[in-house]
Amino acid sequence: MRASGRVDRRSLLKITGGSVAALGLTAAGCGTGGGSADGTVTIRYAWWGADDRAKRINRSIELFEKKHPKIKVKTDFQDYVAFWEKFQTQAAGGNPPDVFQCAIAFLRKYDKRGVLLDLKQQADAGNLKMTGFRSGLEKVGEVDGKLLGVPVGSNTMSLVIDEKVFEKAGITPKQGWTWDEYFAALKKIRDTQHRAGDSGYFGVMYLYDLYLRQQGKAFFTEKGLGFDETDLREWWADGYDAVRSGLVADPKKVVQIAPKSAVSDGIAGSEFTWDNFSVRYDSEGNSTYGLAPVPTTDGKKTGQYLSSLMLSASARTKYPQQVAQFINFMVHDPEVGKIMGYDRGILATEAQYQAFEPTDPVNKAIAAYEEKTAAAGVFGPVTPHPAGADTVEAAFLRIGTDLGVGKTEPADAVRQFFSEAKSALAG
Amino acid sequence: MTLVKAPPGRVRTRHPAAPAALRRRDRRDNLAGYLFMSPWIAGFLLLTAGPMIASLYFAFTDYNLFNTPSWIGLDNFTQMFADPRWRKSVEVTAEYVVIGTPLKLLLALGVALLLARNGRGQGFYRAAFYAPSLIGASVTVGFVWRALFSDDAIVDRAQSFLGLHVGGWVGDPEWVLYSLAALTVWQFGAPMVIFLAGLKQVPRELYEAAAVDGAGPLRRFWSVTLPMISPVLFFNVLLETIHAFQIFGSAYVVSNATCGPADSALVYTCYLYQKGFKEAQMGFASAMAWMLLLAVALVTAVLFWSQKRWVHYEEAAR
Repeated sequence: MRASGRVDRRSLLKITGGSVAALGLTAAGCGTGGGSADGTVTIRYAWWGADDRAKRINRSIELFEKKHPKIKVKTDFQDYVAFWEKFQTQAAGGNPPDVFQCAIAFLRKYDKRGVLLDLKQQADAGNLKMTGFRSGLEKVGEVDGKLLGVPVGSNTMSLVIDEKVFEKAGITPKQGWTWDEYFAALKKIRDTQHRAGDSGYFGVMYLYDLYLRQQGKAFFTEKGLGFDETDLREWWADGYDAVRSGLVADPKKVVQIAPKSAVSDGIAGSEFTWDNFSVRYDSEGNSTYGLAPVPTTDGKKTGQYLSSLMLSASARTKYPQQVAQFINFMVHDPEVGKIMGYDRGILATEAQYQAFEPTDPVNKAIAAYEEKTAAAGVFGPVTPHPAGADTVEAAFLRIGTDLGVGKTEPADAVRQFFSEAKSALAG
Repeated sequence: MTLVKAPPGRVRTRHPAAPAALRRRDRRDNLAGYLFMSPWIAGFLLLTAGPMIASLYFAFTDYNLFNTPSWIGLDNFTQMFADPRWRKSVEVTAEYVVIGTPLKLLLALGVALLLARNGRGQGFYRAAFYAPSLIGASVTVGFVWRALFSDDAIVDRAQSFLGLHVGGWVGDPEWVLYSLAALTVWQFGAPMVIFLAGLKQVPRELYEAAAVDGAGPLRRFWSVTLPMISPVLFFNVLLETIHAFQIFGSAYVVSNATCGPADSALVYTCYLYQKGFKEAQMGFASAMAWMLLLAVALVTAVLFWSQKRWVHYEEAAR
């Protein structure tokens, strides 16, 4: 049976591996990386992204190999979802890449399973410099006293808007505007432009986190969820009504145009997402797009924080020192900063940030947005993400969509989410 | 008709009391045979039997790919029955099988009947209708399907032209399953070819005799064609049903890897995949796989049991 055949590739590998070993055939150079006679080592580097990022990364690696002739870097990339599926299988099989792109939602999960290398020792040994990061970013990858990831860029949640639509409706989003004002804006857009104002805010876990943070709560605590069923019922009931009344785009349409965004497709006027994602809208759509402040509850707090893409290393790597050198280079080298730009968020270290001068409007806008937000003094510390956070996020989005298409009532959706989240966080 | 009955049991010529030398040669022959088969045997043990046994074990454990599996008895199964998404996946799969399979077979039979007559360009039509079966399982076709059945795409426009305002099928929980059923129906070429072979086997004399008795085309179909091809029909029903239970690729691609919206395309294997590879619950996924095996075995058994009532083998073969 096909399905069950897939399930056990891992134990199968063990069996094959075992028998090969028994025959004394284990070849040198198998497993993670390889060393050769002249001391050259090869490390594997995996990340998610698209072609454009691939080109930038390959150019950075060329530079690295020139400066470190004894280290070769082999790369591998997929899109976000495929990346983590592959990574999970590789990690379970004991063969994860030596270095890989990571995010906060995965740190505890893979730390708990012993996959991640604590980079603190390498930092102490001087192979990895942990100073010179912007706005306290070096703390982002620290979990329970371990250094599990080194940030390469910073990003924060934002509201991407179709500027033409907002202009025609006569709305100018201001720092500190409230949710009531935001919903009034959506209503104006619907009434004047005959299109939805928002693409589906109620399914975005990271936005709900901000909303909770505005009230002194948070989506996650270290062990579980930082809110209760009543909180979520209110949030989702509002979302449900907003879809029914046309303030928010019909999810039936939104899911069909995926992976294209509802804003660039012209279905919705705005959308909450990470500020560095705004790069895509210009290439996808034919309007002008801008970044607007996140609405607040009290006119002040947005709940925002600086998050980050990180580089993490495998606990099983044979070359922790070379891996640390590589991460160090990717994070601090000014040339790399120039090559990478704000592809993975605003460059995390001062050295790279100074080296890269954004020239195109999109990158300039991202930089301006984070500067303005920082100046408004709304950035708080990152909330912890427990193991299983990634599964919880997927469930939140899925159940949110179910709610939007009218397949579930808010009360049932909330019940289902809590039951799924409970089992995801227990696993 | 008189029939020479085959001797019961073994047909082998070797006598139990054969000389020792002969038996030795037999053994040598066997050894050579096994040697030649060894790549297949190794593949079977390592890639099929081994994993199956392992998954049977995992089905009774809590296993997240990283920690060693811990025995939990039947917990995976009780959890499964209590899981609303699992029940939804069973529902969706059953609906898909019940909608898609009969339609596909009807179309296959209908076209086979048309093509069974020897007219001009038969070869072309046969190839043309068979082609989708060759490419239908590919991911590309899944993407094409997604594009065809989206909002304002060709299917939506055709509907609107006819005054039906349904919208794109792939975003609508009520409709997405029908787009998947359409995809399987579109691949009717494989059963069609088998039907064609069956139709060619029906003796002409039967039709002539029926015509002489005054039977019209419809009557000839019901009383001659259908009974005569019922073994082929049985074969196709069996194969297509089993096949339909295992739908994965098309549902995964057409739904943009979400099996949604609102779990409307959450076919069984899709949920199994999500549980195993996204949520890393391999024990649960293994238990699901074995439930699927059991279900398919059950359906197959029912079909075999039912064939006594409607499948007619030629008397001679009885």
